[in-house]
Amino acid sequence: MALPQTLVDEFDALVKNYPERRAALIMALHRCQETLGGWISPQTMEDLGAYFGLEPVEVFGVASFYPMFNLRPTGQHVVAVCHNISCDLRGAQDVIAQVCETTGAPLGGTSKDGRWSVRSVECQGACANAPMFDLDGVYHEDLTAEKVGRILGAVR
Amino acid sequence: MKAFETYLLDRAKTEGNHQLATYRKLGGYKSLEKVLETGITPQQVVEETKKSGLRGRGGAGFSTGMKWSFMPDATKDPRPRYLAINADESEPGTCKDRVLMEKDPHGLIEGSLLSAYAIRAKAVYIYVRGEYRLSYDRVASAVREARAAGLVGKNIAGSDFSCEIFMHKGAGAYICGEETGLMESLEGKRGHPRQKPPFPAQSGLWQSPTTVNNVETVFNAPFIMERGAAWFAGIGTPNSKGNFLVGISGHVNKPGVYELPFGVTAHEILEEKAGGMWKGRKLKAWFPGGSSCALLRGSDVDVVLDHDSLKARGSSLGTAAMVMMDDHTSIARVMEVIARFYEHESCGQCSQCREGTQWLSQIFRRIAHGRGQPDDIATLESLALGMAPGKTICALSDAAAIPTLSAVKLFKDELIECIRQQRDPLASPAPKYASVGAH
Amino acid sequence: MVKITVNGREIDADPTKPLIRACHDNGADVPIYCYHPGLTPVGSCRICQVEVKQGEAPGRVVVACRTNPVEGMVVDTESQKAHATRRECLEFLLKDHPLDCPICDKAGECDLQDFTFDEGQSAGRSNEPRRQLEKRKSLGEVIVLDEERCILCSRCVRFFEEVPKKAQLTVADLGWRSVIATFADRPLTGNYQGNIADLCPVGALTLKKFRFQARVWNLIKMSSTCVECSRGCSIQVEVLRGSDVKRFRPRTNPKVNGWWMCDVGRFAFDHANAGGRLEGARLREGTDLLQVPVEDALCALRDALMPAKSAAFVLSPFCTVEEGRAMLGLARRHNAEIAFVAPPPNGLKDDLLHTGDPCPNRRGLTELGIAGLTAAELAPRLVQAKVVVVAGERVAELLGAAVLQAIPPAANLFAFECHPFEARSLVALIGIPNHVERTGTIVNVDGVRGPLAAAKPAPRSVRALTRLLEDLERLSPRREAATR
Repeated sequence: MALPQTLVDEFDALVKNYPERRAALIMALHRCQETLGGWISPQTMEDLGAYFGLEPVEVFGVASFYPMFNLRPTGQHVVAVCHNISCDLRGAQDVIAQVCETTGAPLGGTSKDGRWSVRSVECQGACANAPMFDLDGVYHEDLTAEKVGRILGAVR
Repeated sequence: MKAFETYLLDRAKTEGNHQLATYRKLGGYKSLEKVLETGITPQQVVEETKKSGLRGRGGAGFSTGMKWSFMPDATKDPRPRYLAINADESEPGTCKDRVLMEKDPHGLIEGSLLSAYAIRAKAVYIYVRGEYRLSYDRVASAVREARAAGLVGKNIAGSDFSCEIFMHKGAGAYICGEETGLMESLEGKRGHPRQKPPFPAQSGLWQSPTTVNNVETVFNAPFIMERGAAWFAGIGTPNSKGNFLVGISGHVNKPGVYELPFGVTAHEILEEKAGGMWKGRKLKAWFPGGSSCALLRGSDVDVVLDHDSLKARGSSLGTAAMVMMDDHTSIARVMEVIARFYEHESCGQCSQCREGTQWLSQIFRRIAHGRGQPDDIATLESLALGMAPGKTICALSDAAAIPTLSAVKLFKDELIECIRQQRDPLASPAPKYASVGAH
Repeated sequence: MVKITVNGREIDADPTKPLIRACHDNGADVPIYCYHPGLTPVGSCRICQVEVKQGEAPGRVVVACRTNPVEGMVVDTESQKAHATRRECLEFLLKDHPLDCPICDKAGECDLQDFTFDEGQSAGRSNEPRRQLEKRKSLGEVIVLDEERCILCSRCVRFFEEVPKKAQLTVADLGWRSVIATFADRPLTGNYQGNIADLCPVGALTLKKFRFQARVWNLIKMSSTCVECSRGCSIQVEVLRGSDVKRFRPRTNPKVNGWWMCDVGRFAFDHANAGGRLEGARLREGTDLLQVPVEDALCALRDALMPAKSAAFVLSPFCTVEEGRAMLGLARRHNAEIAFVAPPPNGLKDDLLHTGDPCPNRRGLTELGIAGLTAAELAPRLVQAKVVVVAGERVAELLGAAVLQAIPPAANLFAFECHPFEARSLVALIGIPNHVERTGTIVNVDGVRGPLAAAKPAPRSVRALTRLLEDLERLSPRREAATR
């Protein structure tokens, strides 16, 4: 198994931005996660290792350092609720409770039907519009109970 | 507060400013072009910036001109030179660079190019935190527009100055906002900060001379070059010059990011910009500059929000991210949240930080949940003193220790009470589904 | 070199090496975990803190492994401040470290244990629950990992990257959640895995072969040399009091093996412990080989050698220089041909230490004028000789049963060996000590001489080959004639 050619072409262009190829690794990990099922599998790590001339264990060391990379499959939709101070002061715990209840996913886990993963994360830089969550890469801010319900309900 | 002139967020107010045409209409790129056309040298840009008194806006507050002057003499040191823009904005309470990137990405580009010119860098890497997708897309798009217009790449604006801009993403680690952690991450590795010395100017990206600057810092450069150091130095207080972006969040009526000159007090910001404390409540405690600085009491709100005044008051400006807490707030809970943050974000290299951040977090969590022990306060203090200052490779250890020591100093009685009662009297009620947004 | 002062004593320090080296080389015992002289320093454990003063600036505490000596630096490794900072650091390390000493192999040679003792820290303040991680994680055939004991010094990670130059381990995750891991739980591979158990300052990485085998304070340790190839890595032979060899470990030798040894050599002590040893001597009686006093066997050899017109001596490549010299003397006195059996390269050569040459003393014996020949090359000469003497550990195994059996029954075969064997021409077997039971010198591929040590007593009635040859001379008429 190897990386799809479209990704290889992307990476071939990307590595030109840096004096050392390896610098493109984290960008490449993002692209792999986006296009290869929402997580970084061991196979992907081996393939990236082969591409960058790294041992798979080195790719693993890098991928496991960064919270944004999922090293296990997730639900179809990922809700990341900020639980840091500005959000906590404005009801983040309530948001977390509502999101977990509505989606059926435990905090840090995935719902039984595989549709939702819910996690709480550190400061996302939306402090002036707290509380917030990131749903599949999109920020939803100034949350209220009504808004949370509407946003989650609109997800197909 | 006195009336003051704005410049940082002026263009951002105009719809479409993130696109080149509008940006130019609003006067964008004139500063860069003037510098390049009139033959102002990089050294002159450095000197002007030094004279202006501009200090880094990423939290450390180091003189920008002086930092630029640390780069080696390009005629003697032939290594490639880099500028890295720190757009990893992850300090709790901080959301200001985001505004600039989303609403004035060309402003960031112009500032980056001018800064790169000053340090004779051949390439700029803009390291945007992975979660800031809109910021990344806006800046990337603006770079493409600028390149097409001959403003990025070879012979910028027809001059001899060539400089590339590359977009780069982080992936969720706060420690990659530390300049050496950022460089490790940019090089495709785990974001483990490096020991200093050597400093980035001597050995940075790929061991080449590098300067790392915050988004807002370089954003100021075109304004300084256009209007002059004297103009910039005329704004603000003796050691804190120019306008800056203040973020204010927490228990206020109008949280937001506001452009202000140095010299205003926290009270003025709270009342005149943020609409005062919400629900008619009183201010109990607040962070002036993100969570890595000392907590202040409500009574400290009279302090001028600048470097010297906050230092004199026992805290620091940090990222000017004010987090305001009302008198219903549990300090034990606040510290539980803050300590957990550092516990999560420690890279794990240094023994004191790796174990200490976890230990502090465990203690605050117990106190906040009614399982405090009598010697917890003394232990917190002692651990914090063991974690700082300057005992570790980077300052994350210090960043965890400082708020801890301030909480213990200013709110000792409250913490002791939590321990004595074996409960937190100020704990929020358990979350109810219907109470999101309310408190 | 620059002049610095360490604990009041002025010394010369190499400014290109970290300060910790100057400290260690001059008797200043600064603790280290992540630092190792054979690996790139990282300065992460923070334990090697010392106080330095430079000029008029106030003293500051720095980590000695990431500080370079500068002219005029004044270093105090024993100041209050230095000790206080180290104690703080130790407390942080001990907070999550499990209280495994009673069951941990590393006890007695554990840096964490030792430095904690040195600093006098008997109690920790933490009542927090410790991390619960895997305690017996197999990393393959050689190493077992106890994740809870790990203090994340990252020596093991750096070792694979920098020495065999192929990353196999990483620090996974971050913060206190960090663990050492291989990729996808794959086992470690390669011939240098054992070194990470030596490197690990605590009992996180231990050798499966040493697990629960002995308490290290019951091991008698002697400096010796590995005999598995011609590299002759300097080793330490560690014998459990009254029992077997439990461990080979590398000794630091900048001229030969640095700080390392390969696993082939490290785990070769099974040979040395093997039973079925030849005790005393055996002499042919009909179809049997009967136990006899050693002198009787020596006399038989003397009697066979004296009239012999053609004799062939074959040495083992494990023979020491001293043994080679003694056999050479005997060969000259009896006009015997002499060579050592030299098996061909065994394909284990690598870029690091293993030479692939299974003759540990090839160079030593060759320099004496003794040629090395393969068993196939030796076979025709042995068939023609009237007396064949084979001497040295494993010589029979290396010649091979076929070659030995091909020696015609009329020829007289004598063997000085560790293990008994049979061959139709065999007249006498005389037991000798193996390489952990005798002293001597071997010379490695680069000409560096290494000692063997008698770390373990030889079996009953077994004498060193050199001593047996002296005894043979004493029993020989020429000697008697000379003394008459």
